[in-house]
Amino acid sequence: MIEKELSLASRTFKHALRRRPMYKQGIYKESDRMSDLISDNYPMLLVTSRFGIALGFGDKSIGEVCRMNHVDPFTFLTVVNFLTEETSVVSEATCQKLSIDTLVKYLHNAHDYFLNFRLPHIRRKLVDAIENCPSDVAFVIRRYFDEYAEEVNKHMMYEERTVFTYVRALLRGEKDPKYNISIFRKRHDQIEMKITELKNILIRYYPGKSSHLLNSVLFDIFTTEEDLASHTRVEDFLFVPTILAFENQTK
Amino acid sequence: MNPYLKIAIAETSAILRCGLESVLKRLPGFHIQIIDIASEDVLLDSLKMHRPDILVINPLLPGLNRSVAQLKEDSGCPQLKCVAFLAVIIPDDVLKPYDEQITLYHDLEEIKQRLERLLEADEPEEPADEEAQNLSSREKEIVVCVVKGMTNREIADRLCISAHTVITHRRNIARKLQIHTPSGLTIYAIVNKLVELSEISPKSEEAN
Repeated sequence: MIEKELSLASRTFKHALRRRPMYKQGIYKESDRMSDLISDNYPMLLVTSRFGIALGFGDKSIGEVCRMNHVDPFTFLTVVNFLTEETSVVSEATCQKLSIDTLVKYLHNAHDYFLNFRLPHIRRKLVDAIENCPSDVAFVIRRYFDEYAEEVNKHMMYEERTVFTYVRALLRGEKDPKYNISIFRKRHDQIEMKITELKNILIRYYPGKSSHLLNSVLFDIFTTEEDLASHTRVEDFLFVPTILAFENQTK
Repeated sequence: MNPYLKIAIAETSAILRCGLESVLKRLPGFHIQIIDIASEDVLLDSLKMHRPDILVINPLLPGLNRSVAQLKEDSGCPQLKCVAFLAVIIPDDVLKPYDEQITLYHDLEEIKQRLERLLEADEPEEPADEEAQNLSSREKEIVVCVVKGMTNREIADRLCISAHTVITHRRNIARKLQIHTPSGLTIYAIVNKLVELSEISPKSEEAN
């Protein structure tokens, strides 16, 4: 009995480690192998692709792979260590060393991924998965999803058009007297709540038969939910402080 | 009770912090986000930035020179619950200002009860929920009105109740169903045949 409990405990612990290594901040260094990072922590695949880094790393180190892909290794590692550690306060000194250009590209690519790949992909699968439930139910579920996708679109388009445009101008030395990053910080809200709600509704109230496809949609929604939440965290706790620091420098 | 909780752990020992974190994450019925605080010098900044619901803190954290009350005030989180995390025996008068305690030997059930007690203190209106995850007939009427796009004022007039009562009902509905948006309620209402699609959506013929 005790043995069983112990093995259960150690399994849970390993599971936690695999999913989200604890205390990894500062552990991934330029000299670590890129392939190890991805194998340890597969959600980092989304991060590498958003930095524009292609697969096929061989045995190359994180630093080498970054430089081959013209990505600032410090910014890449800060994002990676920030995400793998789940929550942390990033010091002002770190913010001052981040490449704003790289960070904006990363966030832009993430938006592109959510809007042009992830959400349409989930929609297609969802529509197929609920095909056999009553047509009125399918209709309102589809409408829910479309409204949600539109909200995400608005949210991210504001960032693309207003925030990133402002930041790019700031980098060129043009300061917009009417805008600053604190305006964004105040109005920035979470965007995963509604998809979390859709997931809960499907789990609690879905009237049709379950299917492999519907389960697969739910898996997609679970990962997207986490992905959106960590995206928001990067914006709030890495991007905003970095721009704040830059605004202060260029005052 | 809100199952989504932000808990900050302020403890210098990585082993204790990590251990407590994995225990908290295993509590059934809670969805907990952990904020790690490894030393006193980032304590205040972390609290200000993440605004946790609960702070579990080692009362002997090196460098800790604020009282519990000061900590709540300086971090701008007066609602913050402070829980003392005890790895050693500590005099009672040191522990007095804390809202709760957790020790090294508490099991999951004990910790769960303590957290629940801590959170309930804030929510006196929590009704005895046993009998109903199901909606009352009045609540169902309100769901139908919301789904049809009526405002709280319109619902109040229709059902001859105050707008304040409508809001209370809506809050209870959201809690019972775990659905917080009108579009979510629409799905619920259609699935449970509280309304017909034609009553709520003029565009329903365009379905598909």
